[in-house]
Amino acid sequence: MKGLTHFISAIATASFFPQVVRMSATPGAQIDGAQSSFILALAGLYGIMPDTLDFKFGRFFETAEIDVYPDPRNPDAQAIADTLGSAMDRAIIENREIRIQFHTVQLSADHWRQYQIAFDAERQEVAVVIGPVVTTSQVAFAGTEPDNRVGIYRLKHARLKPGGARSTTVDIMSGPMYGFRPGQDHVLVDFLPWHRTWSHSYVVGAALALPLWPLALWMNWPSAWLYPLIAFLGFSTHVTEDLTGHMGGSLFWPFFRERTRGLCWFHAANPDSNFVTDYIAVTLILFNLDRFVTKLIPLSAPVFFLLFLIGPLLLYFLPRLVSTKPAPKARRQDSVQGVIEAHRRQAAQEELLDESESIVG
Amino acid sequence: MTEYLTILTFCLAGTLSGAIISLIPSLHIYNTAGIALILWTHIEGVIPYTAVAPFFLSLVVAYAFLNTIPMTLIGAPDESASVTILPGIKYLTLGRGFEATLAGGIGSLIGILFLSVAMPLIYVAMPFIHKILAPHMHAILMAVIVYMLMSEWPKGEGLGRTTWERFRQAWRNVFAGLVTFGLAGILGLIVTSRTLVSPDAGFQNIMPVFIGLFAIPGAIEKLLSRETIPPQHISSSVELTRGDIGWSTLQGVIAGGMAAYLPAVTAGIGGILAGHAVARRGDRLFIVSGGIAKVLYYVGAFLLLYCVTPLTPMGIGRGGLSIILKPVLQPLPRELPMMIGAILLSGCISFLLLIPSTRLTIRLLSRVHYHVLYWATLPLLVVLVVFITGWAGLALMLIASCIGMIPVFFHSRRSNCMAVLLVPIALNMAGYGDTILRLLGLD
Repeated sequence: MKGLTHFISAIATASFFPQVVRMSATPGAQIDGAQSSFILALAGLYGIMPDTLDFKFGRFFETAEIDVYPDPRNPDAQAIADTLGSAMDRAIIENREIRIQFHTVQLSADHWRQYQIAFDAERQEVAVVIGPVVTTSQVAFAGTEPDNRVGIYRLKHARLKPGGARSTTVDIMSGPMYGFRPGQDHVLVDFLPWHRTWSHSYVVGAALALPLWPLALWMNWPSAWLYPLIAFLGFSTHVTEDLTGHMGGSLFWPFFRERTRGLCWFHAANPDSNFVTDYIAVTLILFNLDRFVTKLIPLSAPVFFLLFLIGPLLLYFLPRLVSTKPAPKARRQDSVQGVIEAHRRQAAQEELLDESESIVG
Repeated sequence: MTEYLTILTFCLAGTLSGAIISLIPSLHIYNTAGIALILWTHIEGVIPYTAVAPFFLSLVVAYAFLNTIPMTLIGAPDESASVTILPGIKYLTLGRGFEATLAGGIGSLIGILFLSVAMPLIYVAMPFIHKILAPHMHAILMAVIVYMLMSEWPKGEGLGRTTWERFRQAWRNVFAGLVTFGLAGILGLIVTSRTLVSPDAGFQNIMPVFIGLFAIPGAIEKLLSRETIPPQHISSSVELTRGDIGWSTLQGVIAGGMAAYLPAVTAGIGGILAGHAVARRGDRLFIVSGGIAKVLYYVGAFLLLYCVTPLTPMGIGRGGLSIILKPVLQPLPRELPMMIGAILLSGCISFLLLIPSTRLTIRLLSRVHYHVLYWATLPLLVVLVVFITGWAGLALMLIASCIGMIPVFFHSRRSNCMAVLLVPIALNMAGYGDTILRLLGLD
């Protein structure tokens, strides 16, 4: 999920503690236990911390054996597919992990060349499709795709497991890293092998939260024990929420280092899951702030949630329920597969033509 | 009847004045509103009391609409800066500045309609929300600060041979953002704790700081830019889908709502948060939602002053115009329908003015280089600062300009400059302001 979703969910989790809500009120408001504490912001800070550790620090310490820099003037899809496929084969032949970093193709300050990397377990192939020029907002310029834009590599030694690898689009800012490791009877594909490993562990969360206890005691903050607890819960909210995605996390690193697979309910950037989670979190925060401090809402909990949670969410999804159009994401996936299929059909026709020409003479 | 005619006349006068002022690049409407109020207090009777609020409200409505013109058409940066600029300026570089300006105007119109329709609901709900959130406002602002700082990610790939080289290259903008935030926060603590400008200009004491942080660096950036404005296409339609309008409304209402209610949270910061919450991409979405957010930020914030209920007997004072007018205004809830009428009238006229004004500006820019406009604006801003706040204000403006230049050169978020208000307000609300000042040796 996105940073804001983790941040706000962590605050929502902390708001379930009456003492935390009262602590965060200003003493001027005549509330028992009011301390003007910033503990709710602390929950948010720890809520966003796992991704901060990865994207602001961890990634710079990880190096790839192979770097792919597509030519900005003439990107060669086949060369990229060959590099990718041979890296997977090498992982099996040399029985070790091979990491490959795909770099973005920046054409100007605001223009980038998009390309897609696809894995086909059915055909045991990897494919690269060169896409259109896009802006930094990922808005594509139609008709800017090159003519010869599909590269396909048939795997020779590595075996892809169905659903074992995730296709991706490379366009703006930074490109993805893949790690290939030999498995029992197939190649294991790690997308962003440096992401959601040590940083997404409950154990690391506890280790990062614990120092807050002596700090709070030293600063003479009342209820010092709550600070590490809230920080740990904020961190854990992030780690748990990420399990709804595809990548999962190394939940008990360093005891179990393997990155577990997620539940594959949503992609991390899915707008609906992010917005709905944000909205639920805000509603819960408001409800908790009121029930623990001000007690002003003249509605019972079921009526409140019906009016302010269920109702607005129904309104949010209503246009989608009424509309018959497919979701944009699905259309994009279709288009990548469509390009690869069209390329296969064209190649098959050319092969037939060559054959018939050789027979006819 | 005469009273209504007077109000109508001043609504039109406010709209026209706001429209003209909006076309001057880098000049903020609150600076002009401040001057107008000083003049009003000195020349009593120029505007009858009943027309004061409609006049200033119309001024701000027109600004929310027509400020899109200089923002889109004159902010033309060079290649190196354009990654960090607004999508409206991307449209400009593609010759679609007219379309972008109109899309922003459509957004503002949606904002006005939203306010008109939702105001009864806002009137009922906001006092409850305000009472629930008020004791925790410092914590909410600190959460905004933490998120803003944590969510500025390294730009680019961090290319380099060693870990340190990669780290240093990627962290340039993040570090610049942290420095900007820290310096702006300290400046804010100094400005809010000590009166550096004349007490007569007390309510404008933050003005030189804002001009220094935002207007001067923006103007210098444009003057350094060698980019020229390409020929602009005057389109007969604006490309917007129902989906664009729906998502923009959601994003704009969230952004504007936060900016209107939370102290020191601007439409820009609200836009960052709302953009992350709605999690949808697209330049059109950004432009239209920006138009909506601006209206809610400038106009909606002022209307909250009219939420006079048993829970909020003094209304909910938010936004710059409320601060400027509060000393001379006694808002009554029964005036709210008149205020909605004023914003509807002013909004519609402003939208109609937007079309010819954009055409006119495009024609002007085809003859006069935009550098000329900025060379004319810079002295105007300096004179304004010296006139209202004296030489001390000018010194403040220069210091703030130095801080404001950091994000320009390092491509970090300019919203970090808002620490000038966010930090002192959050700390003072929590009651830690004096302690921090003592620690900094400023008590």
